[in-house]
Amino acid sequence: METTQVEKYDFDVVRWFSIMAVVYLVIGTLVGVLIASQLAWPWLNFDIAELTFGRLRPLHTNAVIFAFGGSVLMATAYYTVQRTCGVRLWSNKMAWFTFWGWNLVILGAVITLPLGITQSKEYAELAWPIDILIAVVWLAYSLNFFMTVAKRKTSHIYVSNWFFMAMMVMITYLHVVNSLAIPVTLWHSFSVFSGVQDAMIQWWYGHNAVGFYLTAGFLGIMYYFVPKQANRPVFSYRLSVIHFWSLTFGYVWLGAHHLQYTALPDWTGSIGAAVSLAMIIPSWGGALNGMLTLSGAWDKLRDDYVLRFLIMSLAFYAMSTFEGPVMSVKTVNALSHYTDWTVGHVHAGALGWVAMVASGALYHMIMKLWNTEMYSAKLVNLHFWLATIGTVVYITAMWVSGIMQGLMWRDYDEFGTLTYTFVESVAAMHPFYVMRAIGGMIFWAGGAIMLYNVVMTVRQANARRAVNAATANA
Amino acid sequence: MDYFKTDWAAMTLNDWIGMVLTVGVFILMVWAYVHVFHPKNKDKLESQRYLPDDDDDTIETENRK
Repeated sequence: METTQVEKYDFDVVRWFSIMAVVYLVIGTLVGVLIASQLAWPWLNFDIAELTFGRLRPLHTNAVIFAFGGSVLMATAYYTVQRTCGVRLWSNKMAWFTFWGWNLVILGAVITLPLGITQSKEYAELAWPIDILIAVVWLAYSLNFFMTVAKRKTSHIYVSNWFFMAMMVMITYLHVVNSLAIPVTLWHSFSVFSGVQDAMIQWWYGHNAVGFYLTAGFLGIMYYFVPKQANRPVFSYRLSVIHFWSLTFGYVWLGAHHLQYTALPDWTGSIGAAVSLAMIIPSWGGALNGMLTLSGAWDKLRDDYVLRFLIMSLAFYAMSTFEGPVMSVKTVNALSHYTDWTVGHVHAGALGWVAMVASGALYHMIMKLWNTEMYSAKLVNLHFWLATIGTVVYITAMWVSGIMQGLMWRDYDEFGTLTYTFVESVAAMHPFYVMRAIGGMIFWAGGAIMLYNVVMTVRQANARRAVNAATANA
Repeated sequence: MDYFKTDWAAMTLNDWIGMVLTVGVFILMVWAYVHVFHPKNKDKLESQRYLPDDDDDTIETENRK
């Protein structure tokens, strides 16, 4: 009887999601660099509506969050759930449906957003038919993950899977509720919420998109890939359990801190800020848990460039989960709100935490999935330094710019009139907008190098496999 | 003390649902802390640290007929 060698797990879909994640990293950050440059040099808007900042900014956020972030989350979730549960995916076909469905969502975003088709809700701009497609694909992804966990061979469900499952449940809930709308045409609808309720629902969604999609999901990645890359067990499993439950219970309260000094009842902002401050404890507990996994083996950072990404991401995670709660406090918020400081904070998390931990996980997976080393370890190191320096340049520019903006906007002279006009504050921002664009370009260059390195790695691995197959047949 | 005064009669159904959920979640969190950090549960929980190490480091293949 003839037998054939097949992989124990369903990894083809993981390979494709991994490659697309790197492609979307480059595209999403390239659009980011363009819109950052448009703010520094407005002529780059070219007076073409489809290329203006207002149209391309949501394209940038959707590309980096949903195209890049979503592809990373789907690749890593499908990879880790199989390995930690010791079973194949519940449905490989359904996984492929999520691959094509998710890419269709991205294609929809690329077409509709530059055309100005939007629901005008931040991070939830896409038109209602695309919202429905997102819900269907996300539910298929979640069902496949839950059913794979259900048929696991292990008795315990590893902590990374808990984080992924929390993300899946909460994102379903957030996306469906925030997107509730009455369609009037194929591309136009009205939200069922209005006024202050609309604002509250939007920021309950907005902050938890950060809290569950960009934090819980990526913590799931951290809890699998840091121990695997370091070849050591996580520092404390008990701390990971407390990290999970306190983060899951705590995050849902924070949304109102985005709406300090607005029409929302004052107490909602206060409770949002109070719970935000409390969240420093689990966040730092988790960051330390990841970092201390290297306890006694810090020398690994000397030559393991992939591990550098993972550990540096935890430093940025700790930093931004301290900065966020501080900014939510009303006294600080009075200065920081509506300024570039918020943009800097977001990018400390997005570039420093999300993109860095994702890059580390992607490098790890690509080497495992193609059973090879990276084409160039030096290029991985170069990517690491470009990503780190680019992020620091970006967020430093935004800190200075944001605090300056806040101070200029609230400065009064002895007659009680504003010292500066708004335009004067815009002019003062120019050097920092240039600096931010340069930081973004440096970060983008790192991503482009990663893409080149990944393509060469895959080509090299495929060529070697072809040679081996030919040798075996000879 | 007026700050803590609650008009119970004015509580709506939404208020009650919210309050019960909040208090319930708080109690569950207290239970989670006690359970996780109780010394008798230490070995059982910490043994799960090694779960990701149990899978092979290479992508395994298997024979299919």
